[in-house]
Amino acid sequence: MGPNFENKYLMNKFFTNKLSILSFIFIPIIFLWHPNWLGFLGVQPYWPLFWLLPWSMINGSVNGSVFGLFLGLILDSLTLDNNFSQIPGLMFCGFLFGRIKLNNDILVGHFRHGLICSFGSFLCGTLHLSQILFKNFSDSNSLMFISGIKNILAEVFLTGLFAPFICSQLLRMFKLSRIKLN
Amino acid sequence: MFDIRRISSSRWWHKKKSWIFLGIFLFLVFVRLSKGTLYKDFFYFISKPFWPGQFQKEVILKSIDQESLIKLNLIKKDNIRLRKILSLQESSNNDNISAAVISRKTGGWWRQIILNKGSKDGVEIGNIVIGPGGLLGRVNNTSIFTSSVILLTSPESKLGVWVDRSQTNGVLVGSGDDHPILVLYSKNADIKVGDFVSSSPASSLLPPNIPIGIVQSIDKTLESKKTAKISLLAKPNVIDWVQILRTNT
Repeated sequence: MGPNFENKYLMNKFFTNKLSILSFIFIPIIFLWHPNWLGFLGVQPYWPLFWLLPWSMINGSVNGSVFGLFLGLILDSLTLDNNFSQIPGLMFCGFLFGRIKLNNDILVGHFRHGLICSFGSFLCGTLHLSQILFKNFSDSNSLMFISGIKNILAEVFLTGLFAPFICSQLLRMFKLSRIKLN
Repeated sequence: MFDIRRISSSRWWHKKKSWIFLGIFLFLVFVRLSKGTLYKDFFYFISKPFWPGQFQKEVILKSIDQESLIKLNLIKKDNIRLRKILSLQESSNNDNISAAVISRKTGGWWRQIILNKGSKDGVEIGNIVIGPGGLLGRVNNTSIFTSSVILLTSPESKLGVWVDRSQTNGVLVGSGDDHPILVLYSKNADIKVGDFVSSSPASSLLPPNIPIGIVQSIDKTLESKKTAKISLLAKPNVIDWVQILRTNT
């Protein structure tokens, strides 16, 4: 075995082992990317949940909520809202997702991922809206409430739509890297 | 015996010519019933290049544009001179930085754009960002190479604005959808649909007279204030290039 081959082997091993962490780094980039053509009513799917669901399913509730916190911290730093945070929603979702058992049936798994992610994005959206309404309580703006509901519904729909494709792939990759690690 | 059968080719429906005539007849009936619509429309297209005044209209529009441009420049100069006399805040074009939008979140919860110019290029927090149409927002955060702009539609955005027709001051609050809310702290404030909203001459955050939007609808009057929905002139979801005004207080 030449040094070139060894390098390649080591690189491959590194990528397989660190796949989950590498994909974690890409979440904020996708969050910022925000392509208009992918959206619905100007709203995008809630990207962090696609990563958080497989991660928490494999690593459990505590790990899930810790990474929910990490994700929340990064994403909060990217958005300019100082008064509203994504941390509570993501932590709660991380905890909930950790309680879900893995299912071997591929088809059921696909649909389940969609439903769970929809529910997660509904939770996160509701928590975000409640923060906005709480902060603007004195202004009693019903307009904010209406646009918030619209945002939640669009986000739930899109997240549920994309989750079966992305979550299943990520789950497969995370499982693979875990087996190789062990 | 008599052969009573007629030769088949002698029937009228076996003749091509009669079908052609029938087709023409039906077409003419259609033309008659439609009162010549087809002809008129056809004539519209073929006569288009020869219409009177078409060329003249373009010439007139061009000269009107030129006239407006000259007038605008004169008024601008006058405005700067008067502002100097009154020692008010100035806005000049020399301090503008052109920047491209590299990330945009214009729908959903977060309403912000990220520009490709940062503190390295002299962008500071609080700088004003304008795009084709008018004001987009304010720089809220800068990194070395980028700057984040909080849009007028964000729930975090609150700005002092000016309703030009009734000369009233108000506050423009982002509502989380594409139409921010104008709040006028007077029950009897004079405001109508179609009123033009610009940055307030009294504002310390913004340079004066930057176009912002037009009143789209007026909501119910509350106890002590009037609110209206504003349709913004600058559309952040389609703008790719913006100007950062470095005028800062």
